[in-house]
Amino acid sequence: MGKLRPGHLVEAAMWLGLCLFLFIYSFQFDQDIEIYKFGATAWPRAIVLLMAIAALGQLYHHWKRGDEASVQMISAAVDDGSEEAAHEAHHEGLKWYASTFAMLLIPFAYMRIPDWITALLAAEGGSVHVIRIVVAAILIGIFLYTMRRNMIGAMLTLPLFFAAMLEDMGFYSLAPFFIIGVMIMFGENRPKPMLAIMGLIFGLLMLLFVNILYVGLPVGNIHPFYDIGSWVVTVLQ
Amino acid sequence: MDAFDNFLTGTVTLFSDPLGIMIFFGGVIGGMLFGAIPGVSMLTLAAILLPFTAHLSPEHGIMLFSVIYCTGVYGGAITAILFNIPGAPENAPTAFDGYPMTLKGQAGKAVGAAVMCSALGGTISTIIMMLATAPIADWAISAFGPPEIFALVFFGLAVAASVGAKTFWKGWLSILIGLMVAVVGLDPVGGIKRYDFEMPYLLAGIHFIPTILGFFAVSEIFVQAEKKAKGSYVAPKLSVDFPSLTELIAHKWAVIRSIVIGFFCGILPGIGATLAAFMGYNEAVRWSKTPEEFGKGKLEGVISSETANNAATGAAMIPLLALGLPGGALTAMMVGVFQMHDMEPGPLVFINSADLVWVVFAAMFFANVSILFVGFLETKTIINLLRIPFQFLAPMILLLATVGAYAVRGLTIDVIVMFLAGVIGFFLRRSGYSVAGIVLGLILGKIGEQTFAQAMQMLHFEWSGFFDRPIALGLLIVGVITLMGSVYGEFFKKKPPAAETPTS
Repeated sequence: MGKLRPGHLVEAAMWLGLCLFLFIYSFQFDQDIEIYKFGATAWPRAIVLLMAIAALGQLYHHWKRGDEASVQMISAAVDDGSEEAAHEAHHEGLKWYASTFAMLLIPFAYMRIPDWITALLAAEGGSVHVIRIVVAAILIGIFLYTMRRNMIGAMLTLPLFFAAMLEDMGFYSLAPFFIIGVMIMFGENRPKPMLAIMGLIFGLLMLLFVNILYVGLPVGNIHPFYDIGSWVVTVLQ
Repeated sequence: MDAFDNFLTGTVTLFSDPLGIMIFFGGVIGGMLFGAIPGVSMLTLAAILLPFTAHLSPEHGIMLFSVIYCTGVYGGAITAILFNIPGAPENAPTAFDGYPMTLKGQAGKAVGAAVMCSALGGTISTIIMMLATAPIADWAISAFGPPEIFALVFFGLAVAASVGAKTFWKGWLSILIGLMVAVVGLDPVGGIKRYDFEMPYLLAGIHFIPTILGFFAVSEIFVQAEKKAKGSYVAPKLSVDFPSLTELIAHKWAVIRSIVIGFFCGILPGIGATLAAFMGYNEAVRWSKTPEEFGKGKLEGVISSETANNAATGAAMIPLLALGLPGGALTAMMVGVFQMHDMEPGPLVFINSADLVWVVFAAMFFANVSILFVGFLETKTIINLLRIPFQFLAPMILLLATVGAYAVRGLTIDVIVMFLAGVIGFFLRRSGYSVAGIVLGLILGKIGEQTFAQAMQMLHFEWSGFFDRPIALGLLIVGVITLMGSVYGEFFKKKPPAAETPTS
């Protein structure tokens, strides 16, 4: 086994699995091009081949040298402290990864589940909006419940969740909660500074982008979020 | 004289336009500030600003990025010296001696030397850039066809893979991810859909702006979130003292040597300021009569590192403007600015948009000069701004990135792609992969595939055609040698028992 750890094997398996998937998928567009004899697949397949070679090379490196940097690389320049921070925070175990990836499913659940329920119930009009709000509320509850056990997982999930809800709830309704959420993730727990900073950031962004630059941000498409967003835009512009 | 006249014209154009002046000073201050704040970098600022450059003229957009590039490289020295936290990888060697100087109560002198040498290295590099870029572009028009450009892309990627990540293999995997992301969408020859997974969004390819924002701005916030338990920074009191003329003259060879090293590192695609700073520092140690004093607070360490990294900035613009090939993450973003205005950087820019080029050159010159003055005045302000707790800065950066990603095309899916890229970037960074490599692969991937296809059609699909084109062949050979050298090092070289560079 040399200096191999289970994590190294998982890493190699992920790369090789990705290569296999990309190679198999390339048959979907394996078409001839009249003026170009290599066709549409030669370039991506060459990349996939090189990826597989590099993944095996990386596995060999792990086997011989473990987590050491390559001899010729400037390790001090490369090291941004993220590996050390992960190690110090004990964010390396299988349990942590499993919990983080499970949390990351929450935004994707919001992107899919309301559509499934809508199709299942053959819902229309206002009831579609109700379904989306109920699903969002349940997922927010799950997020808040799980975040205490894995703050970094929550930090990774929060922006994605915010982005997933942006189309429905709009920027203007979500941004204040998002600002407070990020501050909490970074360890801030004093309500007054949080509210003051939230007001300052939100106010500055609104002034700059909505009032001065006229950037059209998503207003949402669900009642009452759409009404709130439209009202903010009307007032500012 | 032509160059001097053009420079004067560029200067007049730059300073006769109030918006241009505002953007110039905004870039100078913004670059220094973001370069200095631990947890973000000039790349974060550039990524945030990238979408908004669509609303600026091409001159203003490129000028803003070039100014940020010059001053951002300096800004990172401040935190490297005061807190032992380099603002960017290219400032890492500055911390080797800068921080011990702070511990000895000589922080003012170290910052003063960084201000002076950054300005000096950057200004001289910019002057050489002004004189050299146009002739190189003229030559490139006749000498560089698709085979040469493809060969240069290959060479650039081969070098970049050996610099950016923890291991050689991770360097290559980072670049290959970027190349693969660039494949998504329609193929450049036949317009065939590739890896679109039946999603209309992917037909146009994954847009580089959300990707860049995600990999640089968002992943940085995530990394900082993980580091937050390590404590906050306390701003010390500081006065900036310039080194005396005698001290500077005593280090003249270190300055000259670092300018030469910085310039040549900067001009090679894929290398840039990081290697320049390390090589400048290492050579200073090697040539010194008292090498044992390095790492313990020697002024020459700060001088050599800061001169070399700023000398690389002007040089890095040469391959971008003369050949259309970015050498690093920030110059790759500049390609994005060009593309947003339906322009392609390269030799034709000198014919079609000479005004733009000279405004940019003038701006870079004055940005480097302004490091001397603004750097002296602003350093104290920056130190005070470092008191802003990161928990208040992080939501601001994330929301700016959100607005930036959304503003490009008005699609919320671009915001999702950005945050997804941030999450992927976070996991890749903590595993030793290089996000700069991914972005370089993404930008160069499109150019590489297109020029490869054109080259093969031009050479009638005969690989031997490369042998008839000496420049292309030369670049391919050097690229292969670089690659083989790295592979040799990987399999046969043994790690020295002790670290070569001091880490203070």
